[in-house]
Amino acid sequence: MRSIKHIAASVSVLFLTLSAICSGQAVPGNDENIPYLMTFGKDGHETSWGDDDFSETFFFTIPKEYKEPFYIRVYDPDVGGNTDELNGYWDTKMQYTILGGKGCYTNPDAKGTDPVGNYKSGTVLASRVFGVDPKYDEKWFTFGPFNPADGEYYPKWSCYIFKIVCDGISGNDGNLYKYFLSKKSDDNVPIQGANAFTHEYTFRMWNSNDTSYVSHIYPYIDSGCIYVRQRNFDWDSDGDFIVVSVVRKGQKQPTSGDNDWAEGRIQVLPDEIGKSLDFRFYKRKDFLVKNNNVVVSVQNQYGENLPFFTVPIGGVPVYKPRIKVTKK
Amino acid sequence: MVATLPVLLSGQSSYEVKQLTTISGSSDDIIAAVIKNGIVFCSNRKTSPLVTRKNLQGQRLYDFYFAPFNSKKEVGKPEPFANELKGKFNLGPGSFSPDGKEFYFTRNYNSGKSRKVKGETDKYGIFIAHKSGADWINVTPFDYNDQRYRLAYPFISGDGKYLFFSSDMDGSLGKSDIFVCENIDGKWSRPVNVGPAVNSSSSEVYPFFSSSGRLYFSSDRKGGKGGLDIYYSIKQGDGWSAPILMDEPINSKGDDFAFYTLSSDQTGYFSSDRNRKGDDDIYSFKHTILRWAACDTLKKDSYCYEFVEETALLSDSSGMEFKWQWDFGDGTKADGITATHCFAGPGSYYVQLNFINLITGKVELNQASYLLDVERIVQPYITSQDVAIVGEDLKMDASLTNLPGWDVDTYYWNFDDDTYLTGSEVSKKFKRSGKFNIQLIISSIPDDAGNVKEACVCKDIVIKERKK
Repeated sequence: MRSIKHIAASVSVLFLTLSAICSGQAVPGNDENIPYLMTFGKDGHETSWGDDDFSETFFFTIPKEYKEPFYIRVYDPDVGGNTDELNGYWDTKMQYTILGGKGCYTNPDAKGTDPVGNYKSGTVLASRVFGVDPKYDEKWFTFGPFNPADGEYYPKWSCYIFKIVCDGISGNDGNLYKYFLSKKSDDNVPIQGANAFTHEYTFRMWNSNDTSYVSHIYPYIDSGCIYVRQRNFDWDSDGDFIVVSVVRKGQKQPTSGDNDWAEGRIQVLPDEIGKSLDFRFYKRKDFLVKNNNVVVSVQNQYGENLPFFTVPIGGVPVYKPRIKVTKK
Repeated sequence: MVATLPVLLSGQSSYEVKQLTTISGSSDDIIAAVIKNGIVFCSNRKTSPLVTRKNLQGQRLYDFYFAPFNSKKEVGKPEPFANELKGKFNLGPGSFSPDGKEFYFTRNYNSGKSRKVKGETDKYGIFIAHKSGADWINVTPFDYNDQRYRLAYPFISGDGKYLFFSSDMDGSLGKSDIFVCENIDGKWSRPVNVGPAVNSSSSEVYPFFSSSGRLYFSSDRKGGKGGLDIYYSIKQGDGWSAPILMDEPINSKGDDFAFYTLSSDQTGYFSSDRNRKGDDDIYSFKHTILRWAACDTLKKDSYCYEFVEETALLSDSSGMEFKWQWDFGDGTKADGITATHCFAGPGSYYVQLNFINLITGKVELNQASYLLDVERIVQPYITSQDVAIVGEDLKMDASLTNLPGWDVDTYYWNFDDDTYLTGSEVSKKFKRSGKFNIQLIISSIPDDAGNVKEACVCKDIVIKERKK
């Protein structure tokens, strides 16, 4: 059940200047190298396929200076055809809901990891259900136009926030899809300074046992973080998960097996505050784990969910070695 | 071709000696101590045309005098010192405690039969005066005074740790021996004879322990130049080296005694009756052999370095899926967040840090680099054996000296045995065994402004007797 967490000593203060971030609203992001987002139909509650809650929420941030209409585009929104995962026969329906307005992001239920409570807080701006529909197989569907002012204004980041929720409302097949926040309805044209984030990332791993296929997600480490706890689901022991930062070359994290959770605590170093970590996923090389779908979230020491930005805040963290030489 | 190495010329004197004419006269003058602004000495000089203080035998009594330094550090006209100590006895040589608050001096036990200190047979002991303002008062006898014996010529080492004196007390090997007490928690330990290496069946008097580790003393033993001669022994662990007779002009056919050194034995004073007029005069001396008081010890060139990747130390290294690999730029590599490497020699080395991904096996080349200039230590350099044999040639070479930008004018070798040589390569025969602190002093050709640069390194060399 989604709980409203009242945390007195909240440290979730993001002093971000999102307009300074480079543009790029592909979800998954270019630096993430993730093939698809993944949501399964909820019937039968078959979590062992790699989706713990049959719902995925993403937020889009649009700088307040941007006044033009924009679109949210979904790639392969249907469930069927070439780019989805069949379970028995195609019987799954996906509902995409786009929300804005007050509470869209600031409602505590919106910041959870499970589709419980008022997780679809805010004002519904658009909604559509997709089933098997060859017309949209491996094609883009466009929501909008939307007025940026219809989002929830978030002064701390000087931006408007929109939310898109994908719910697997029926069936049990897997939906593979992508998003793009675009200036145009028929093309993917990014909005400068915009970004996207989620608090729980459910995605498809590469269908390859080549270790050069490395996926990344980038949790932002806010001031006040002492340690974070990553949780991952249904990893199927598929390779290695390491944490990289500007001061951490690559530290191994525990990964889950089939249909279970694993978690690991990461002590935050001072130089990691105000930057992103790089959660890096290497595919297993001795054995191909096919169609592997996984779930990842990360919380700070108070249990608050930290955001994974598709364009990492502060850039992709690169380890910075420093050599000291002393004469013996 | 065989190079001819410089050798020490025989007959070279290593000291310049000068009589202190401002003090000298028809009296006997014996150096006691050098203080900040002058010298303290004892003298039996006549100070008043009307009154002459004599003992019962009609000999003038010794008192203390102070002769201040002038601006050129020359000794000026003397004036009485510590008048309050005067009495019907001789005030002999003495020594100040390091804090200047106590004055240890020689004095007759019995004032009524006082006689001249040097060479006389009256009994005398060591007494201690305590400073109060400008006066020396509250005279107390030394704990180990014994009226059966003579105790004289006290000398307190510069660190206050030892008190040397001369005595014929129990345990003496000759007519008069050097004894030493150790300062233990502010109290002088029971006197110990410094041993047969120093003391002989003759008389050993006027001890002076230099900061250089030499114990200077005077003795009338056989084999000297005549009368009392000045010798020194070098402290070696708990013992002393065999005494070394100082050359002329320190010693003469007359009595030479009360040797007092300054500036690491480079300058000082002593007393002598060499003028053959029958009285003792004070002489200053200057070592003509160059020797630095503070000379750097020769450092061995090392080309070993420790390399640390500091960022890695910030986090726990457990579970790290990378290996740190150092490429030292000389064809060698080492693994680890820290690594130590010794290069073969001087040079410029481009050190690179690679990371090896333990998951993929991929090598991330040159993730950090460091251009390391491995250089020799900037110093004069002595190449020689560390151990040599008495009487055999020991070659010393300064050619590996590393003083960039210097136009060397002179290589000067001080062998710590009152001899020296010049030249970048020298050959030396030591006449005795022991440990010698060799100094190599290099001076440059004067620059356009006339400035000369000098640098010094020293190295200990052990000279041994050849095994029979």
